[in-house]
Amino acid sequence: MVTWQAVIEEPAVIAGAVLALGFVVGYLVGRLNKELLRAAGVPEAVEGTPFERTAQSLGTSTVRIVARISSWFIYGIAILTAIHIAQLLDTDAFWLRVTEFVPQVFIAVLVLIVGFIVADKVELVVGEYLRGVKLPEVTVVPKVLKYTVLYITFLIALAQVGVQVLALLVLLTVYAAGIVVVGAYAFKDFLVSSAVGIYLLLEQPYSIGDRVRIGNRSGIVQEVDLFVTKIESESEEYIIPNRQVFAEGIVRVRE
Amino acid sequence: MFGGLFADVDAVALFSPSSSFHARFDDVPEVELVVVGTENAVGAETFVELPIEFDDVTDRIRFGLEGCLDADVVDDGDVLACATSVFDDGIDTVSRVRVDADDRTGIYDLFTRSRADTEVIQAVLELAIELGKKGQKGKPVGALFVVGDAGKVMNKSRPLSYNPFEKSHVHVGDPIVNVMLKEFSRLDGAFIISDSGKIVSAYRYLEPSAEGVDIPKGLGARHMAGGAITRDTNAIAIVLSESDGMVRAFKGGEIVLEVDPEAY
Repeated sequence: MVTWQAVIEEPAVIAGAVLALGFVVGYLVGRLNKELLRAAGVPEAVEGTPFERTAQSLGTSTVRIVARISSWFIYGIAILTAIHIAQLLDTDAFWLRVTEFVPQVFIAVLVLIVGFIVADKVELVVGEYLRGVKLPEVTVVPKVLKYTVLYITFLIALAQVGVQVLALLVLLTVYAAGIVVVGAYAFKDFLVSSAVGIYLLLEQPYSIGDRVRIGNRSGIVQEVDLFVTKIESESEEYIIPNRQVFAEGIVRVRE
Repeated sequence: MFGGLFADVDAVALFSPSSSFHARFDDVPEVELVVVGTENAVGAETFVELPIEFDDVTDRIRFGLEGCLDADVVDDGDVLACATSVFDDGIDTVSRVRVDADDRTGIYDLFTRSRADTEVIQAVLELAIELGKKGQKGKPVGALFVVGDAGKVMNKSRPLSYNPFEKSHVHVGDPIVNVMLKEFSRLDGAFIISDSGKIVSAYRYLEPSAEGVDIPKGLGARHMAGGAITRDTNAIAIVLSESDGMVRAFKGGEIVLEVDPEAY
């Protein structure tokens, strides 16, 4: 009995047990992750992205890579714990740094993978949409979106492993502010029109079929939507921005 | 043995091909290829859209060819090999058809050159067909949809009662619409739908002048009203007949399409 206890309390044996347990748990978590990702429809979502295609050409897949990484993470923890228990490396400082650093690297790698896939997917979807509306020449937009997503991904990943990212963050802020300013300026008229459009749709001061005059244009209302009002006279069809409808006022014509 | 079927055809028309089937033609650049279907799933260069999935093969090919003619993909007198499916999803049949410009029905005109958006007309047609199939609580119903040029149509009609769609923003194609219209279809009068698909009004009594409207004798007041309003305005009318259950579409005062809902 005593010998049993002695054997069990031997650090090498405990370390071995921890190692074995770690490998089993790691394998199971990997399998579970794979099934979960499959069930969540990840393979369909990442289909067609360059990352997935690269993975396919290497004889693996995105789901398998992510599952593999989660397994490795647990293997790593098991190995480190075993080393610690077996007291092969007896430096507490080293141990502390490693335990802090490993999960961060793991998350950073995960963020990178997700970021790459999201960036590819964004490029793919936006490109497809532009092709769908017969505007395939604007290849800049999907590219810009892709690299924006990648940039943010790298920022998050670098911040995760503790690299100073302040300068990059400032750059991102400037970039985002630029987009907001340009966007607000470009879409100013749309914003005003849509605000008026919401009022017109909710209140319906005039509706389809009414005879109205807006400014010097008069006719029968054919359509009211968020941005424009379509008015048709005998020979002409006016498409009037809702902004102007409000600015000029509405005259309802009664015979 | 069947070589005569394919001998010197001017073009090959594939009806809703799968992408692998379509890919087989990549290696034969000398064949002029047209893809016909409800959607361009294979990303083909020359594509002709079918407004609805015709179950009847003759109809499908006829309307497909009319679309090809309309899009100037083929010319009068061309001979086409049409590959389509009769029994299940895959392509299993080839038929040799000569394009004849004389027996056009104008269905393509109805969908592509009307005021209203193509998708709106498509949705209304599907709605009428579904209504015809199921009826209201098992009983056959009739319905009259006037699509497009809503402003003018509103001025050429008057309300029979309060408009249930007043101050609402319901568009055909919204999921709730099928149920709503089924309920409202027991009301008398016409549904008026705008170019972009907004349901402007129900319960409308149409007051067009019926002069010069040429529709077959035996159709009732609903068809007459529908036909006449399309002559007076730029709208089209889709009518579900209560007595024989057929769906008919009118444009410019003439019948351009007649389909039996039971066949879909």
